[in-house]
Amino acid sequence: MLAVVLIGYIYSSMRERKFLRQEASQSLELQQKVYQAQVLKEISERIGYSLDTAKIIDIITSSLGNLLSYDTVAYMLIEEDGRVMFKCHVENTVSHGFIEQVKEKMLLSFAAILDKKMPAQSVDESITGNILDDNKKISVQSFFNLPVVISGRLVGMINVASGEAGRYGDEQASILYAITNQAATAVSKLQAVLENEKGKLSAVIYSLTDGVIMVNPENRLMVYNPAVQKLFGLPDQKTPTIFDIVDGLAGKLDIRTKIEQALAQDQPVVAQDVYLKDKALEMGFSPVKTAQGEKLGVSVVFHDITTEKTLEKTRQEFTAMMVHELRAPLTAVRWSSESLLKNLAAAQGADAAKIKDTVVTIETASNNMLELVNDLLDVAKIEAGKFELNAQDYDLVEVMKDQVRAFTPQATAKHLQLNLAAPEKLTAKFDRVRISQVLGNLISNAIKYTDSGQIDLSLRADQANKQLVISVKDTGIGVAHEDVAQLFSKFKQLQSGDRSRKGTGLGLVVSRGIIEAHGGKIWAESPGENLGSTFYFSLPLA
Amino acid sequence: MTTIVVAEDDKLISGSLCDALKAAGYNPVPAYDGEEAVAKCKEAAPNLLLLDIMMPKLDGISVLWELKANPATANVPVVVLTNIGDVETISKIVEAGAVDYLLKSDQSVDDIIQKVKDVLARSVKLA
Repeated sequence: MLAVVLIGYIYSSMRERKFLRQEASQSLELQQKVYQAQVLKEISERIGYSLDTAKIIDIITSSLGNLLSYDTVAYMLIEEDGRVMFKCHVENTVSHGFIEQVKEKMLLSFAAILDKKMPAQSVDESITGNILDDNKKISVQSFFNLPVVISGRLVGMINVASGEAGRYGDEQASILYAITNQAATAVSKLQAVLENEKGKLSAVIYSLTDGVIMVNPENRLMVYNPAVQKLFGLPDQKTPTIFDIVDGLAGKLDIRTKIEQALAQDQPVVAQDVYLKDKALEMGFSPVKTAQGEKLGVSVVFHDITTEKTLEKTRQEFTAMMVHELRAPLTAVRWSSESLLKNLAAAQGADAAKIKDTVVTIETASNNMLELVNDLLDVAKIEAGKFELNAQDYDLVEVMKDQVRAFTPQATAKHLQLNLAAPEKLTAKFDRVRISQVLGNLISNAIKYTDSGQIDLSLRADQANKQLVISVKDTGIGVAHEDVAQLFSKFKQLQSGDRSRKGTGLGLVVSRGIIEAHGGKIWAESPGENLGSTFYFSLPLA
Repeated sequence: MTTIVVAEDDKLISGSLCDALKAAGYNPVPAYDGEEAVAKCKEAAPNLLLLDIMMPKLDGISVLWELKANPATANVPVVVLTNIGDVETISKIVEAGAVDYLLKSDQSVDDIIQKVKDVLARSVKLA
């Protein structure tokens, strides 16, 4: 923690010391206390939140008029390059020589503290206030120096000087000491707060999942976080440079031009959809400025949008598939109607067999369309949480038998056996229409994806877990292990090599919604591709 | 007789289209997936291919590339009939060398027959 320490040194000649005022009246003391308080208030108001040492000392020295009488008040600051800034305010006209004396005394004092000689030629001076008159032959008769030490380092010194002897004693020095000390305490607190805030900010930048760098106007990397290193695969130990970033972008984006652009336009620049080898990025370039408008550089944020892009692609594919699936039956209806009309208007008389075929086509296409639209509406209801069940006590075995009967012609057409293994009767509370829909969906999928073999339906009561478990097992194309979990999610119609058994995959999404609304679970198992699969769902037993 | 391969996996659509082509005096040869489409084109040496995009086994774009890569089928004019109307697909279709593309649900069967006539007339002139 930075500490601001002020050390007071009083330099006063011995012969002046004897004039310590012992008779200071009570009222004068009180008056000075009031002044002191006023000056402190004024100083704290004017300093505000500044951490600029020169400014603070400037404010202190210019506020001293009410408190002390002097001919000059001056301060010296040691600058970063080792030069010394000397600023002197002339209250009452003095000669150049007087000021030279002040300067000399201050430099001597510096030399004493630093234990090295301060060369007078490295002083940049500025003198303000009253005019100088070399005819004034007064020299410095009394003065005191107050060194200013910040975080253990001597940064400057304040000097108050008078042509009158015996002006300053401990009392005056202690007033100035109190003021400086108070200002220093405020600065110290402010610095602590700033350090703390800076620490928080660094922690935030460090832990951001987005990569962040800041470059100065000379393209030097000033700030970077681990996310950037990770993003570009840079080693932890090495401090990255702008060239590492340029290399990482592999010519996909000219980062330096973007940085220059952000600096020149003085406003944020965005680079969208920057595709790297295995990542998609969005990059934001923002000019970094101080409150005073000084340009410090440009910050660059690397936002990884790979997941969003993948999702967007899946969504686009889903939309394209839906468009295709919805248009196909509509096209069939339209073209069939057209041919029907033509046939009916034919000169040689309508062909009854042909008309029947066409109407069957229209019916089939309409049914396909209706099924799809119903699925879409069901998915919408499930997603909106507005899925309602009409649950009553039914015999589940009966419901399963109905479904087996309904699908037997389809299975037979593909030379598949459709078997049911279930107890005589098993009553449970469920929505008959919806559970029939799930069974129908699973059986029709099984038929669709099986070319030879059989489909086995089973129902068993799992009394231990108070549930019924229904399974539909086929000997069909199966599901790759990694795809099993995705079967029941929207947008995830598996794009297997064989698209001849096409479908939207919405049936399983709807089935999952129905089963979950019943408080049950739906899942699938498959030993692998072409090894068949089994779909299960459970219904809670009341 | 002018032979036209109809590559379309939807049996209903394929049926309507083949009926209409037959009625217009052509010889339609249906193909129900991409691989069959390529095979039928090699086998029947058609005057024209009507090609769907979303098909099992081999999609329409891949069918186009395969046909163009084979000197025996490279010159068969191809009209794409699709229900996917996005720009990306259309540009792929054009790039792959299709003569024209039509959005199925936007066309009547008569429109398609007319398009077939136009394309055949043009290809005859070229030949």
